Amino acid sequence: MIEMKHITHAYGEIKVLDDVNLTIKEEKITALIGANGAGKSTLLGVLSRLLTPATGAIYLDGVSINQMKSKDIAKRIAILKQTNQLNIRITVKDLVSFGRFPHSQGRLKDSDNMKIEEALQYMNVKDLENRYLDELSGGQRQRAYIAMILAQDTKYIFLDEPLNNLDMKYAVEMMTILQKMVKELHKTIVVVMHDINFAAAFADHIIAMKDGQIIEEGTIDYMMDKAILDHVFDHDFCIAGVNGRKVCIYYQQKETVQETDI
Amino acid sequence: MKHKKVFMWLSILVVFSMIFYLFFWMLTTPYDLFPSDPLRAEKMRDAILSIVSRKSIQMLAMIVSAILISSTALVFQTLTHNRILTPSLIGFDAIFISVQTAIVFFFTSSSIIYLNPYINFLVASGFMILISLSLYKLILKNNRNHIIFLLLVGMVLSTFSRSLASFLQNIMDPEEFQSLTIRTEVSITNMNTSIIGIALPVMVVIIVLLIREFKHYDVMSLGESQAISLGVSYTKKMNVGLIYIALAMSISTAMIGPISFLGLIAVNAAREMLKDYKHFPLFIASSLVAIIFLVLGQGIIAETGYLTTVTVLISMVGGAYMIYLILKENQS
Repeated sequence: MIEMKHITHAYGEIKVLDDVNLTIKEEKITALIGANGAGKSTLLGVLSRLLTPATGAIYLDGVSINQMKSKDIAKRIAILKQTNQLNIRITVKDLVSFGRFPHSQGRLKDSDNMKIEEALQYMNVKDLENRYLDELSGGQRQRAYIAMILAQDTKYIFLDEPLNNLDMKYAVEMMTILQKMVKELHKTIVVVMHDINFAAAFADHIIAMKDGQIIEEGTIDYMMDKAILDHVFDHDFCIAGVNGRKVCIYYQQKETVQETDI
Repeated sequence: MKHKKVFMWLSILVVFSMIFYLFFWMLTTPYDLFPSDPLRAEKMRDAILSIVSRKSIQMLAMIVSAILISSTALVFQTLTHNRILTPSLIGFDAIFISVQTAIVFFFTSSSIIYLNPYINFLVASGFMILISLSLYKLILKNNRNHIIFLLLVGMVLSTFSRSLASFLQNIMDPEEFQSLTIRTEVSITNMNTSIIGIALPVMVVIIVLLIREFKHYDVMSLGESQAISLGVSYTKKMNVGLIYIALAMSISTAMIGPISFLGLIAVNAAREMLKDYKHFPLFIASSLVAIIFLVLGQGIIAETGYLTTVTVLISMVGGAYMIYLILKENQS
């Protein structure tokens, strides 16, 4: 179980996280939503120890992660930031093998190779294993990275905007895989997302942030509410039902449609 | 398999360079090296021995420096996430010269800190470590990905340290200045082999320690957040790496003086040849390339009667290569 207690973080004078308390729901996909600058990525960074908070602590099964070795945390928590440009040329297989580093410290054993193989198969990148990462499409590359995270074999997986630069097809595919990972492999996944409809369709739980604080959290049904979303984004939402699911529309609603656009 | 082939060819070239450097002069010397007169023959044998042993020590100093320069360049490029800059290009060797000048200026040339090569080395590299760590904390940490910015920092830094050194030298007592030149005017043609006794063991120790860090540096080349996610204590590894770089740069600059582009050539040539990102093979190949450049280059230059220096030669090749690399980087 991961808990955050009284986390505050600031960049210079600006507070990005303000006394945040949070318990991550186990074996669920949690979506972090909020406007730009609300503190989502910072929250994820603090959760995964990329950032050391100014005050407060993160507890992993009751133990503060400050007291744990980085190597041991890496066996239980994995994070993937928005895939940034690499300046090394590396094959998919090598990348996925890095996922075993916390376990093998660079010396791959048979059990490690098995995990790598499993991860390659699971993410459907086995046939790409000898290709270089810069030769792949955005969707394939993202799958390769997730395969590395899978090879790391952690219970907790944090993803910072994994759908960035993916088209609809790949985005749906990615979210479906994440759902499968929760169901089959019992992972706990936290995702920073921009598209609320994607969050509503695939997540189990939504946390809404604004000005460095968690202002609402709850099930999809509860969160997909006009009053809540209006408040979170300071924007005018319209909630509709499609095929029994709640969907929100946030552009060109009746009263704001401008004649000139037609 | 491909790696083995590259290593083999490079090793053959290294051996050839060494033989060339040590013995080629015998073929071109105007003197009769094996006179029939037994008395003269014995004298000649002593002369040959002393020349070869002097050359061997110089060669050892070059090899040690070549390994240090190429490995620091390799590690520096991983730590700063770029493939072009090296510690010398960012002004590390200029800092070393100004540290030496400052030591003479503030402690006089008769102080033990200056006279004893070992204590001098310890104090100077201590300062280098301090300066490079604070440099990193203040500037490099937040600007790792901006190559042009780093280049600018390097330019300012090396100009500043050189100016500072020459300013101190100008207001210094002339006799002090004279004795200072022993340390600051070191170059490949005017090597300071007196510290080889400390340089060699220090090099062996740090290279062994470094090789053990390579697996972490491999992970670190995936970027900071991914490395932390995979359990590498990034900040700690970074600081250790910087200390290593400062130490290695002190040794090589103290022995053979500044050689700006050697690291750049060696590491990038190794990358081109191996097409690998792993540090261990890159380290081996780049060290071999650096040794070839230094030893063979110096050997050839000595044979041409010192028409130019190998430093000039390397700067010419390296400078052109660097412009090419920057242009290539800009295109991608």
